[in-house]
Amino acid sequence: MSTSRRTFIVTLGAVSIVPWLNAQATPEEATDAIKKILGGAKPRNGRVNLEISPLVENGNLVPMTVAVESPMTQADHVTAIHIVAEGNPLPNIVSFYLGARAGRAEVSSRIRLMNSQRIWALAQMSDGSFWQGYAETMVTLAACTEEVLI
Amino acid sequence: MSKTSRVVVSMPKTAKKGEIIPIRVIVQHDMESGFRHTERGVLVPRDIIRDFVCTYDGVDVFRAELHPAVGANPTFSFFTVATQSAMLEFKWSGDNGYASSLTSQLVVT
Repeated sequence: MSTSRRTFIVTLGAVSIVPWLNAQATPEEATDAIKKILGGAKPRNGRVNLEISPLVENGNLVPMTVAVESPMTQADHVTAIHIVAEGNPLPNIVSFYLGARAGRAEVSSRIRLMNSQRIWALAQMSDGSFWQGYAETMVTLAACTEEVLI
Repeated sequence: MSKTSRVVVSMPKTAKKGEIIPIRVIVQHDMESGFRHTERGVLVPRDIIRDFVCTYDGVDVFRAELHPAVGANPTFSFFTVATQSAMLEFKWSGDNGYASSLTSQLVVT
């Protein structure tokens, strides 16, 4: 296919503007998302350990592990763990729902990060209380910005 | 992306009663975030897996709600208590009618 100079220039312009059109979530949006999860409850710090590498080379596939200190008995267990980002286009990353049958409140996955940011982990206990923890990361290559070659 | 895809589950075949067993699942999926553009600036529509659930003898033991920030080929590692010999069923569902599932037998001694 032959591309005229004009088409090329127009495409170049469109491509360079595109990444800036993706309005990213602000810490305020993350706060809103957290409020929605909490539903009026007040989270306490501690018991939640979110492990993400402090220096991330590629934001497209970032390994993460979240562990919550809990006896995981029928009377006292973790019911949900929510992962929320401050600097992604959408604040919610992933939510896990478990129960006493899990035995251990520990989940690993791989997530996308667009920016150097703080990631929150919120754990809901069977008594309705919330505990929170966070991890700070530096991201050198962001997710979401690459083009699809079609 | 097709409406179904390959899934792999790794878990022990046998376990002692009361033992906490690790389960690791991975599913083949692009997890198109809906934020990417083609080189001509056309937005690529979102196409992701929305939900993953693991049932143990019909009882939900683990569920995940996925958003576009979950990496391509989503993988989860989690735990469950071996209570009795039963079938474990793993189910994924998502956009554009995506669905896949797998069952695995666990023998508890």
